[in-house]
Amino acid sequence: MNPIVSIVGFMLNRLPYPILLIFVIFSFLSSCSSEKQQSKYLRWVGDIEGDSTLDDPAFKLCHSELITKQYFHVGQGLLYDGEMLKIRDIFHSKYKSVDINQSGWIRIRFIINCRGEAGRFRVIESDENYQSRAFDSKITEQLIAITKSLDGWQPLPDAQNPEDYYQYLIFKIQGGDLIEILP
Amino acid sequence: MKQFLFFISSVFLCYNVYSQPNCNAYLYHGDTLKYEACLESEKRAGHYQFSREYQEALDSALKIDSSFAYAYKVKSTAYLKSGDFIMWKALIDKAVEYDPEGELFYRGWCRYQFFRDYEGAIADIERLDSLVDYDIGFGQNGDYHLEITRALCYKAIGQPEKAISIIEQKLSDSTYFASPYDYLHLGVLYLEEGAQDKAIEALKKQESINDLAENRYYIALAYRQKGAMQLHRENLAMAEKLYKKGMKMHDPYTTHMDKIYLSQIEEEMENGLE
Repeated sequence: MNPIVSIVGFMLNRLPYPILLIFVIFSFLSSCSSEKQQSKYLRWVGDIEGDSTLDDPAFKLCHSELITKQYFHVGQGLLYDGEMLKIRDIFHSKYKSVDINQSGWIRIRFIINCRGEAGRFRVIESDENYQSRAFDSKITEQLIAITKSLDGWQPLPDAQNPEDYYQYLIFKIQGGDLIEILP
Repeated sequence: MKQFLFFISSVFLCYNVYSQPNCNAYLYHGDTLKYEACLESEKRAGHYQFSREYQEALDSALKIDSSFAYAYKVKSTAYLKSGDFIMWKALIDKAVEYDPEGELFYRGWCRYQFFRDYEGAIADIERLDSLVDYDIGFGQNGDYHLEITRALCYKAIGQPEKAISIIEQKLSDSTYFASPYDYLHLGVLYLEEGAQDKAIEALKKQESINDLAENRYYIALAYRQKGAMQLHRENLAMAEKLYKKGMKMHDPYTTHMDKIYLSQIEEEMENGLE
């Protein structure tokens, strides 16, 4: 047997049980902590951590972050009063085209809480080749403002058992015009 | 019962349905590196595809073999479903780079379904068709043959005649069985081109295969254009009934092309009264 293993085993055998227990718990917690620090991933892909410099302090989740779902988890598609047609109508009536040669996609991802309130809005943008790029702020600021004004989100999965969930909207932009709203 | 259905749907929606490759096949072909990467990728089993554990298992597999296309694809799916087109595209491009014949169908289909990237989808599907001498097959959810997908992309970029030609050709293939929405899309294309009789014929075929609120709505439009107001009313009433029963175009992730909504049916009912 490896002499180092023998020595460690000998020492652990002679430690009082409570101290040994504390040692084991501390080792477990520190290993969990270091594992989390080393990982580049959050709980799930697309999770949004709260940020007091960005987020409305009035927006609260109803449940733990650990059980926040995705909009498609109950298979009902997008849950909005009037469905996607209503969302399209709102954007097409409010968005003013910007005369600029910029095309690509803008995603605004956010959380809907159990009361149907939206918060933690985050934006990613790309050109038509899926390369990260920033659109003119006249485009993105309009889309963010309209997204934040949407007030018809429904709870997931239903009113009797409401949960928090992630939702996103993707806007396809062509030459400053809004031509598609997804998903 | 409701809870049971919720559980079943959650299981199907939460865990991806890509079949894990048979790792031994890599060994059989002498590719021990891919065999080891494949075994490593199996460590994600039981973890949700969005989860840290799932992603890390695939990262470990790619450290063993950075050309393991399958790992890039299954890693990409969480980004796709969360709408992160930048990360998704970077990952799926790697998968296509290392296995174009195996992964172009997925990239092409997703470009259409999730991002309405019509030109990109056409390019991928046509490239796949040029690479293989077998049927290019279906999109990921199984509802659309890639030829039909290609046709819908041509429609979206302003080439409806080409779209009609592609769908007609596919549906005339005696070895092909029409998918759940093929005749619906064909009927809508005819209607948009002003060919009401052809539209009605296609939409009646859709009715016999998969009767939905959509085909009833569009056939009602065709009847109104022909002045057949009784048939217009009857089909709209059926469209409303089917819609309320949930017999409509539906996808848990995205919105179908040619999908209609209850308010459109109600609005068209009012049009018929004028």
